[in-house]
Amino acid sequence: MSLRFIKAGLQTSIQDDGRFGFMHQGISRSGAMDPLSLQLANWLVSNPLNQAAIEITLVGPTIEFTRNLSVAICGAEFDLSLNGKSVFNNETINVKASDVLEFKQLRHGARAYLAIAGELNVDSLFASQSTHLTAGLGGYNGRQFKTNDVLEVYPKQETDKRALPETYRPIYAGSYLLRCCNGIETDCFDRESLDSFYHSRYKVSKDLNRMGLRLEGNLVFLNTAKDIVSSGLIQGSIQIPPSGLPIISSVDGQTIGGYPRVANVISSDLNILGQLKPGDKIAWSLVSRAKAWQHLQQKQRFLNKLLLS
Amino acid sequence: MNELSKIKTSIKWNGDSAVTLFFDEAAGEDLTRYILSLAEEFKSSFPGMIIEAIPAYQSLTICFDVLAIETDTIDDALKQVVDNHIPNTTNAVVSRLIEIPVCYQGDYAPDLERLAEHCKLSPAEVIRQHTEKDYLVNMLGFLPGFLYLSGLSEQLHCPRKEVPSLKVVAGSVGIGGNQTGIYPVDSPGGWQIIGQTPVSIFSPAASEPFIAQALDKIRFVPIDIGKFEQMKSEQA
Repeated sequence: MSLRFIKAGLQTSIQDDGRFGFMHQGISRSGAMDPLSLQLANWLVSNPLNQAAIEITLVGPTIEFTRNLSVAICGAEFDLSLNGKSVFNNETINVKASDVLEFKQLRHGARAYLAIAGELNVDSLFASQSTHLTAGLGGYNGRQFKTNDVLEVYPKQETDKRALPETYRPIYAGSYLLRCCNGIETDCFDRESLDSFYHSRYKVSKDLNRMGLRLEGNLVFLNTAKDIVSSGLIQGSIQIPPSGLPIISSVDGQTIGGYPRVANVISSDLNILGQLKPGDKIAWSLVSRAKAWQHLQQKQRFLNKLLLS
Repeated sequence: MNELSKIKTSIKWNGDSAVTLFFDEAAGEDLTRYILSLAEEFKSSFPGMIIEAIPAYQSLTICFDVLAIETDTIDDALKQVVDNHIPNTTNAVVSRLIEIPVCYQGDYAPDLERLAEHCKLSPAEVIRQHTEKDYLVNMLGFLPGFLYLSGLSEQLHCPRKEVPSLKVVAGSVGIGGNQTGIYPVDSPGGWQIIGQTPVSIFSPAASEPFIAQALDKIRFVPIDIGKFEQMKSEQA
């Protein structure tokens, strides 16, 4: 055994970069809600960037290690203590057998990623070790961790200690700009509705999970009561149900949807969805596809630079 | 099939990394066959660059790896694939008939009476109509392994529950609006549950995780409680 959950936290599960190529069978991507933080945490312990790690949501766990391991935490900032002494995000931490890591008060963001140098001993299902919580498959017995669960790790030798350069450390201010491109049903909304959507701020409601995030704010309505034939629903789609309040589809979302989509969050901003918590504010900005692609390329270059450093 | 290759298709961007193709043609077996063949064409035309190809009743959604694809010429390249596509008839998907045993009795059919009342039919007549036809699997989606079936008798159409049940067990067979289907995993749901199958619709760890694929036909076969329990215990 390698680590034991003394407290499990609100929703603690194993996630990698997700499963790809199974949506036509109803299996959504799953994987980390904030893949960027997952990658940064893995970099700190010299793992392949998309390797499975532990995703921690809003209320963190308390973990007892049962062997020496190199670990790192990125993403949401919790007050962290190792055997009662403060430790921090964004740097490699070498823990010893019987050390206890405690995630206390959440300060910023919503999800932290705990990467462990080595590999987690869980099976790969549909080409991923991620936990698909709605389907109950993958990860640790297809579910989130519970008190006293024991996770086995195949550790690597202790790695060099690394720290994340300042420019790679995120700031979660609780107020975010999400850039969007038009969706397939954007033209079902009139100018007025689109203006009302883009020119107002929305609040993240309490109703949010890995399937989707419901927002509060201006109501958006369809031009006409047009019947939409269900079609492929992808991550980042902003759906407008009859209530008029937007829902952003996320990693565990359904693969076929029937609500009209007013817009889609651009690929390079999807990781922000993983850091939204109830009460956070969202503003939108409409960008061209060319711009969206540029942003994604920039982000990739940014990550490549870290790998070469 | 040749006529279908001329069907009017519109391509719409679905965000920055996917397009959805809409087909101006009635949903059904021929269109589904065409959509599956087009999905294969996309995968071979853009090797390694297509992450998902999601067929639906009258559409196909293609997700790309935007970092791998030539974005400057992508619009033309997509259009060319659609325009030049000749449906593959030699390697066409084989449609199977899959029989699914369903117990329409007792606790396995909690909403049968209510649905029969709404449809102004006897429960026996509901069961007869539900089992007499073969249903086409249009696509899979929504939940892992969930089958979108078409062909439900109009007399059995029934609105969804106003308050969805918090937990519908895997294997439950229901009717919601003009659709019928089987819950592949335990999940919340608003359909009227008229029966349950002892067979696994979705078995993630099996070599064949899905009981059916798009274009297969489904036939529901009524079984009694004794048979249901026997089959269930044989599975365990």
